[in-house]
Amino acid sequence: MLEHAYWITQTLLAAAVFCAVYRVFRGPSVLDRVISVDVILIIVSSMLITDMVARNHQDFILFVIATAVIGFLGAVAIARYVAVRRPEGAAGVTELTGLLPRVPEDPGSESGGSAGARRHADGPVGGEPVTDQRLGGSGPARRILRPRRPRGG
Amino acid sequence: MGILDPELLDQVLDGVASVFLVVGGLMSLAAGIGMVRFPDLHSRMHAATKPQVLGLLSLLMAAAITWRSWTGVVLVLLAWGLQLLTAPASAHVVGRAGYRTKHFKAGQLAQDELARAVDRISRGHGARREVRDESD
Repeated sequence: MLEHAYWITQTLLAAAVFCAVYRVFRGPSVLDRVISVDVILIIVSSMLITDMVARNHQDFILFVIATAVIGFLGAVAIARYVAVRRPEGAAGVTELTGLLPRVPEDPGSESGGSAGARRHADGPVGGEPVTDQRLGGSGPARRILRPRRPRGG
Repeated sequence: MGILDPELLDQVLDGVASVFLVVGGLMSLAAGIGMVRFPDLHSRMHAATKPQVLGLLSLLMAAAITWRSWTGVVLVLLAWGLQLLTAPASAHVVGRAGYRTKHFKAGQLAQDELARAVDRISRGHGARREVRDESD
């Protein structure tokens, strides 16, 4: 009975690996490929567990545990590489802290730590939402995306 | 005798382990089909978590049943607990990067609660404005 279950399970896992490989091949973005490779890794680990169950040994359990520990590192590294963030140690409110920056009511009464630098850069416009005009303002996702790209000057 | 008969108990436990094996395989197959058929990154991530947590749990339970040793149970708990700790980290980071690089279809979101917060941040002196100020 265990032998039948072994073959059925290995067949299912093999089919799943082929589906994931197809997604690695097709995947439009690198993130799709990353999660597909994650799935392939976990399926290989599942195959080893299935073999351990059917043959009743514990030879591969270290690989399974190591996969559980370090399997996420690749996804984290690549995802961090994909989403370019501002340089570390930059002054001001970072979005990584989870704090929402203050929105000044009127441009004149603005005060704060780096307010001088901001006012200098923005000129007389002050607290006006220049972002919308410069970026076309076509939705929040674009607004958070666009300025992340490095720009010259 | 009854259920305490060793041979019968062995057969029952093997049957249970077989069922767990096949369930784990089905979870992985569901993930594979979801990877192929789902339309965007976040729904594929939803599919990808099935073998990571449920499939691995099922297979590890089959292993623990088959081994019949407490050392095996400890190893199984260790493997599954570590997987349970690390899977959300990678899912969070990948989902975050996917949202920010617009790898999702906005028409298929029932609700985008992050959009409001992003809107509020970008309106004032958000992080992006300060990045631009420093480069000027």
